[in-house]
Amino acid sequence: MTTLNFHAAPVAARLSGWWVALRASPKAALGGAIVLALLAVALFAPAIAPNDPLAQDLLSPLLPPAWAADGLSQYPLGTDSLGRCVLSRLIFGTRVALWVGLCAAMGAMLVGCTLALVAAYFGGRVDKAIGYLVDLWMSFPPVVLSLILMVGLGTGVGNVILAIVLVDWTRFCRVVRADALKIRRNDYVTAARLMGFGHMRVMLREMLPGLVPLILTLFSLQIGIAIIVEAILSFVGLSVPADVVAWGVMIADARGTMQEAIWTLIAPVTGIVLTVFGFNLLSDGMRQMLDPRKRGRN
Amino acid sequence: MSLLSLQNLTLTVNVDVSGQRLPAAVLRGIDLDVPEGRMLGLVGESGAGKSMVGRMVAGNLPPGFTITQGAIYFRGTDLNHLPPAQRRAMLGRQIAFIPQEPLSGLNPALTVRQQLFEHLRHVGIPAARHESYACDRLHEVGLADAAGMLARYPHQMSGGQCQRILIAMAFCGDPALIFADEPTTALDVITQAQIMRVLAEQQRRHQTSVVLVTHDLRLAAHVCDSIAVLYAGEVVEFGSARQVLDEPLHPYTRSLKESAPGMAAPTQALRTLPDFMPGLRDFATLRGCRFASRCPSRQEVCGQRDIALLDRGGERAARCLPSIPPLRAPADEDGTAFLVMRAMPPSSAEPVVTLSDVALRYPGRARLFKARPQLQILQPLSLSVAQGEFLGIVGESGSGKTSLARLIAGMVPPSAGRIAYATSERATDAPSAKPSRPATGRAPLADPHDVQLVFQNPDSALNPRRTVGSLVTQILEAAPAGAGADTGRSARLEAALRLLASVGLPPEAVDRLPSQLSGGQKQRVNIARALCVTPRLIVADEIVSGLDVSVQALILNLLLRLKQELGIALVFVSHDLAVVRYLCTRVLVLHQGNVVEQGPVDEVFERPRHAYTRALIAAVPPDSASRAWTPLPVGDTPAPNLAQAAA
Repeated sequence: MTTLNFHAAPVAARLSGWWVALRASPKAALGGAIVLALLAVALFAPAIAPNDPLAQDLLSPLLPPAWAADGLSQYPLGTDSLGRCVLSRLIFGTRVALWVGLCAAMGAMLVGCTLALVAAYFGGRVDKAIGYLVDLWMSFPPVVLSLILMVGLGTGVGNVILAIVLVDWTRFCRVVRADALKIRRNDYVTAARLMGFGHMRVMLREMLPGLVPLILTLFSLQIGIAIIVEAILSFVGLSVPADVVAWGVMIADARGTMQEAIWTLIAPVTGIVLTVFGFNLLSDGMRQMLDPRKRGRN
Repeated sequence: MSLLSLQNLTLTVNVDVSGQRLPAAVLRGIDLDVPEGRMLGLVGESGAGKSMVGRMVAGNLPPGFTITQGAIYFRGTDLNHLPPAQRRAMLGRQIAFIPQEPLSGLNPALTVRQQLFEHLRHVGIPAARHESYACDRLHEVGLADAAGMLARYPHQMSGGQCQRILIAMAFCGDPALIFADEPTTALDVITQAQIMRVLAEQQRRHQTSVVLVTHDLRLAAHVCDSIAVLYAGEVVEFGSARQVLDEPLHPYTRSLKESAPGMAAPTQALRTLPDFMPGLRDFATLRGCRFASRCPSRQEVCGQRDIALLDRGGERAARCLPSIPPLRAPADEDGTAFLVMRAMPPSSAEPVVTLSDVALRYPGRARLFKARPQLQILQPLSLSVAQGEFLGIVGESGSGKTSLARLIAGMVPPSAGRIAYATSERATDAPSAKPSRPATGRAPLADPHDVQLVFQNPDSALNPRRTVGSLVTQILEAAPAGAGADTGRSARLEAALRLLASVGLPPEAVDRLPSQLSGGQKQRVNIARALCVTPRLIVADEIVSGLDVSVQALILNLLLRLKQELGIALVFVSHDLAVVRYLCTRVLVLHQGNVVEQGPVDEVFERPRHAYTRALIAAVPPDSASRAWTPLPVGDTPAPNLAQAAA
């Protein structure tokens, strides 16, 4: 065993620990690389995109990709039925996808985990009440529920996020509660109570750290789900206004022309698959990395 | 001719040692013979490799473990060269196993009938005979209502009943060899005695060979014919059961014997050994005798060359140089110091906690249109613990001893009566009409300066995400700011180092996580945490029951030292009478929520008045193998009838 210095409660050591773990888990490394690349694309979209994603070139609709016989180098992935650059739309679509994914997952995580912790910690009637609420909530078909919410709330990115949070917090609540109950039964939680710790403190200091790996795993899974849900809502035209570029909108647009121009469909689908795949890999790798019982051993 | 013969077996696994893959011998040069119809005890502490022997015979090794040398002969056939299908066919029919955990040994989703009959089909009993065969076998293991048992699910039975069924199952089809892996570790004393008796009777009745794997040398000496002592993957001593216990040859066997408290009045501190048993990683690089680093009679040559298991005549063998004299008992001058340490507190000592007419009831399951039934956990009792007094609470599981400990620690309020602590004025009264519930989400009842609870299982009691330093000083976090206590970072570190020193842990442990510590170290952290604010009373619930004897000895001696240094009082809950006998000054015997006997330890243990106390004491194997062990009859009654005993 190595001996660490107590004073230099070691940021460097922790970082190097992460680095070692990252190298030991190629899954997390690959997932992380994909996610980082996507973030960079979203951030620097105006600089990367060859064209304005909304500019229509009505003289050259449904151009094939640049490497095909009729392709133009100006449109690397061709154009859609209104002559808009598919690559530029794909790049700008990353912004909406990631923004919705991150915010919706964050919101669902906050709501779900708070209720789960409270339910598991207090138990008894509180637990029962929250349990019934979750059961009731989950008995609505999720797609229908989000459609109804979108009709009620109106379109817009903010409302999409809200709708996803309101539908998906139950998943967090269910899964986290099960693990929190397991932690609640540990004697160290009782011991903290016996030492005179307050409820909040016991929940946050004693119980929450043990749940972090699970929550982060769920979080990055939820990002993937939120991106798909957003695409579904865009597809049925209930997500974002027409002047916002989203992958779901691109798929909806491609529906009519996919017989003659399949690339308009393949591009957004590839974007979705790659993003969800990246987040899933990252979440799976993180789950193994974040357990101190596995990391602490040498 | 012997039934099972292990010849010079070496089991190897590759381990990473500072970046290199090196082979480590988990078991090394194992030579064992199990003769027909005899019982062999495999004794050792955890990590000695005793369970690996069973897994090797079953052909059920964990991935990465390979037999690199030697052979296993069962009735003359080499098991390692048998096709896997044939080998599997032997299991259950010719070689049977009794698992350690009776409750997890049975499938919770199936009835006993389903599981037993499936096994009977496997061993080839015709279906028409299943019912009568099963009933016969269940009768043999002392289950009177065999037909009723068949219909039950595992959760409807006690641990002892489950273990009886597993024993009956193992003997079905009359296998030639049975491996029993710590079959009584999870059970309490009286049940352990009964189960051991059942096992020994079955073994004699069916002339089966049995290998009994256990950590309890004394128990093995009383039921086995011969004993092999394992240490760090090697047989260090072999001999007849009686000789191994009464005249051990190897220094380790001797230490093992002397670190386990006995039932006679203790005259000396238990022997403790430095360091730990070497682990897997050490095996790869360790040279010489594997016990050398801890051996009290170590000589220079021990660390340099491997020592063979040498024949010492009379069917005995020891892995030690014959020139090394047998280990002496620890020097006698320790004895007086020890007796002072263990002495009763003066009668003038003030009580630190007083319970008057305290009772505990839990509400039972609510029924429609009926009054909610009340489960009486503890009958009204009064007791007080004086400063510096060590009170032992003994009884079998379900006797209410943990509930009493929780009451004293202030975790649950009493349903009736009063608990008063010495320092604080705050006494806890019974809440008026409300039935008591566990103190979840409620302020603790007792002041942490008065009483601290040490939980049984350190794995559950220590937050795996806190470092040792933060764990032992955790209570300082709860102190309100500006209340006089200095809770700054440096003060906490200082307090942590002081606490670690007082429980004998090295200062560098401060940064470790609990998962980086051994079981005994974790339990010391657990104790250190209770000492942080130096309470007047510590309530310890079975804190040594999961530990190896050598670690247990360390913890017990530590508690005695703390008593002398800090003058704390201790309420020590245990099912192990020998431990209570060694550690405590006063003892309280609980049976089904009633205090059946209490008094000074020496008096209660030497002249028990109550039949239940006598039964408890009789269930403990005697210290010497020459004294016969005469526990209770085999029947499935938990204890002698108290109504008769009281009359």
